[in-house]
Amino acid sequence: MDNPQPLSWTARLDQSLSRLRASEGRLSLVLSLVIGALVGLVVVAFILLTGRLAARMYPAGGSGVRRILVPVLGSLGTGYLLARYFPFARGSGIPQTKFALFINDGRILFRTVLGKFFCCSASLASGIALGREGPSVQVGGGLASVVARNLGLTPKQVRALVPAGCAAALAAAFNTPIAAVLFSLEEIMGDLHAEVLGSVVLSSATAWMFLHLVLGDDPLFHVSGYRLVHPSELAVYAALGLVGGLGSVCFVKLLLGLRARFMNLPKWTVWFQPAAGGLAVGLMGYFVPEVLGVGYNQVEKVLNGDIILKTVVLLAVLKIVATAVCYASGNAGGIFGPALFIGAMMGGAVGGLAHTIFPDSTAGPGAYALVGMGTAFAGIVRTPLTSVIMIFEITRDYTIIVPLMISNLIAFFISQKLQPVPIYEALAHQEGVHLPTAESRAQAERIQVRHAMRDVPVVLAPELPVAAALHQIKDGSLDAWPVVDSGVLRGMVRYRELERAAAGGGADRRVADLLEPANQNDHSEGEQTPHVHPDHSLSLALERMGTSGLGVLPVVSRANVRQLIGIVALNDILEAYGVASEASPKELGNP
Amino acid sequence: MIKSSAAPSFLGTFALVFVAMGLLYAVDTVLAGMERAEGAAAAARLYREGLDLMHSGKNSDAMERFGDAIALERGNRDYQRALAQAQLAAGKTSDAEATLAALLESDSTDGFASLLMARVLEKEGKVPQAISYLHRAIYGDWNQDQAANQLRARFELIDLLARRNSKDELLAELMAVQDHIPLDLEMKKGRLYLQAGSAAHAAEVFQRVLQEDPGNLEAQIGVGEAEFAKGNYREANRDFETALRLAPDNADARQQLELSNQVLELDPTIRGLGMTERFRRSLKLVRMAADDATECTGHNPPADLAELLDKAATALKGNYNASRQNEASESNLDLAAQIWQARKRECKSAPPPDLPLALVLAKLAQ
Repeated sequence: MDNPQPLSWTARLDQSLSRLRASEGRLSLVLSLVIGALVGLVVVAFILLTGRLAARMYPAGGSGVRRILVPVLGSLGTGYLLARYFPFARGSGIPQTKFALFINDGRILFRTVLGKFFCCSASLASGIALGREGPSVQVGGGLASVVARNLGLTPKQVRALVPAGCAAALAAAFNTPIAAVLFSLEEIMGDLHAEVLGSVVLSSATAWMFLHLVLGDDPLFHVSGYRLVHPSELAVYAALGLVGGLGSVCFVKLLLGLRARFMNLPKWTVWFQPAAGGLAVGLMGYFVPEVLGVGYNQVEKVLNGDIILKTVVLLAVLKIVATAVCYASGNAGGIFGPALFIGAMMGGAVGGLAHTIFPDSTAGPGAYALVGMGTAFAGIVRTPLTSVIMIFEITRDYTIIVPLMISNLIAFFISQKLQPVPIYEALAHQEGVHLPTAESRAQAERIQVRHAMRDVPVVLAPELPVAAALHQIKDGSLDAWPVVDSGVLRGMVRYRELERAAAGGGADRRVADLLEPANQNDHSEGEQTPHVHPDHSLSLALERMGTSGLGVLPVVSRANVRQLIGIVALNDILEAYGVASEASPKELGNP
Repeated sequence: MIKSSAAPSFLGTFALVFVAMGLLYAVDTVLAGMERAEGAAAAARLYREGLDLMHSGKNSDAMERFGDAIALERGNRDYQRALAQAQLAAGKTSDAEATLAALLESDSTDGFASLLMARVLEKEGKVPQAISYLHRAIYGDWNQDQAANQLRARFELIDLLARRNSKDELLAELMAVQDHIPLDLEMKKGRLYLQAGSAAHAAEVFQRVLQEDPGNLEAQIGVGEAEFAKGNYREANRDFETALRLAPDNADARQQLELSNQVLELDPTIRGLGMTERFRRSLKLVRMAADDATECTGHNPPADLAELLDKAATALKGNYNASRQNEASESNLDLAAQIWQARKRECKSAPPPDLPLALVLAKLAQ
């Protein structure tokens, strides 16, 4: 009897790969580990490179003028690179990652990853007052996306690995593996029960392990043990929650306001806009060097009660302004680190004041700085659970957890009340991106608008006279018609209004004049127009029709709310549900 | 089944990722090494600046430098000890205590940290704990010159015990190091023996010094004090006279000589005294003890003391012939001792330790 010939190693490898690829669960497990390790090593390189660059840009005993020149030149250089080569590598990286995850099938380009890594490293090293954690998240998510796509995985599998990359990045950047998992689920996925939990945990732990392998077992901040001195102290922590909440709202509103102004500037100024941030932080840094960079050494000082009250207040105010200007002007960098800095300073200020007034019944300013970090994080980033765990992990101090929870929740509720749209969502809105909420993603599982929508039969130009518009749409088969200017949706005009204008002697008026006032100028963002996205549920479309009184809604892209994809009419929805329409076509918005 | 065209891409991507991970690990290791080296150099510079500042009394600035050095090189215990030293020098004892507590938590055998902790605790008035930390410093580990540093720590303990007047513990510590004390510290050793109540050891030490250096005034006075403490007032008197010959203007020697003279004039146990003189001195002791007790307790002394004072009055009036003077002397000395005991019991203020009356009565009580 002949023995079967043994397989060569290449054949065995081929078989193993086939088995691995065939088993989705096993592949996910292996990739979570690989991505965790890869992202961990990349983020460690990012941290170390930034540190080494910063040490060279700011040698000991450097002059004050250097503190102005370096951030200006750094932001100019990176500004050019960002505008010319890496347009998706601006800002924090969190909204961009969510955009990729929910709208772009988890697709993040390798070029963006490279741009984020190097531009951000140079930018932060030059003293720009932003953080490294948000960018790390985009780098981590991007690497996961690149690896998964190169392995030929399906978009669904790619989307499942991006949060794992994000968690791995945050675990390595902050040295907080548990908070990284929570953040990935709470903020990136918007769902603590997401199916990707297993791979997120695995990659986070792997990245953390590699961080420790290279950099050792040091927490981000070394803090003396704090405890609650007296139960009445909880009132002071509640006051800190109030201050932290209000401070967070001020910061977010300032940042969004400045960002809107920068975005209104002409497009050709984009490449040197970051220099405004560099100049602002440079001028501040000339007088107060502590404002430059992420400032974690200052955070550690205030955590240990080593900074006086006056300085703490000054640093809190300057950092709010510096970070807002740096971010709004388009520099690459995140707001995690600055949020912690601002929170620590606000906490130090409140604690310093309380300890001066009630020295026997309150802890030192360091304890409040510690709680303040979580408070600002909860107020600005709006992830209360992550912020509690993060502070615990950063400091490895469990004793202050109850005051931290109280303070965090107060800040969170104040922030939610005064700034209803969370910062990352608001930033995405400014870019014309409408990220789906967890609720809308759940709805998307049911019948979606994409199943009932249709192409636009006719679009009206805003400069078109009313009479010509009426002629163009002839029979008035739809209740309302989209007005589009050079491919940009300006709004919806009702057929009835066109008829009324023509009958009232306004046949020569422009169609644009009949639009909602907010949509009449060229710079309007079209957000005032009721609309739906293709992945919205039909029930939401019905709801919006009811609210707006329109029988037809424009279907727009999530990536650009001014980009018209199609329309959906009431009758289309009824047909999708299998309900025959006997009403008049125009009433239903149907031919 | 994997498609044959997809396999190279799948395998290639994995291979590429692993190669990238290997390269990244190498880059990370190099960068981390650079960071550690640069951080250590910067920390060392800050540490040196901090030491200079501390030596010139600028403790707050020194603390800042040491803090920055620690932030750059966390595990360096020298920087942490220096920070604690600066904090202690700046009077920030609670900060110094916290710094040292962290150091000792990670290594409880750290001799220098224990010594600093003892100093901090002594400054905070926590003397028993300070003594405990000094013991740890004596038996702890030191980076360099272990024996010399341990001895230094023991001397700090001895000094502390001497300041507290803890004679037994002081003597025990002195006995433990007596063979290790350098010659230049012999005088200190003698003084400490005196303070610990071991006059014999003290006398030996001072005699040894005088053999080497007969003109040593301090040793000469020390010998006198040791003999005085042993109750050898005559020898002490001779030693003080010798000291005054060496330095006629020495106030200390003169004061000690006067005291020894007073004691010698009062001491009834000196050999060669006649019976009458001994009787006279016993009466003098009764009178002095009664006067001191009356002055201390006022005109309404407690009943037991009042009874003794009545007896004293009777004794002082007594007129004894030569044959009964010996017996009366003994009785008087016993009465003087009883009055002195009652006085010490009833009076709030303790008598000065160098009071001739107290010294003579103490000698009689032995």
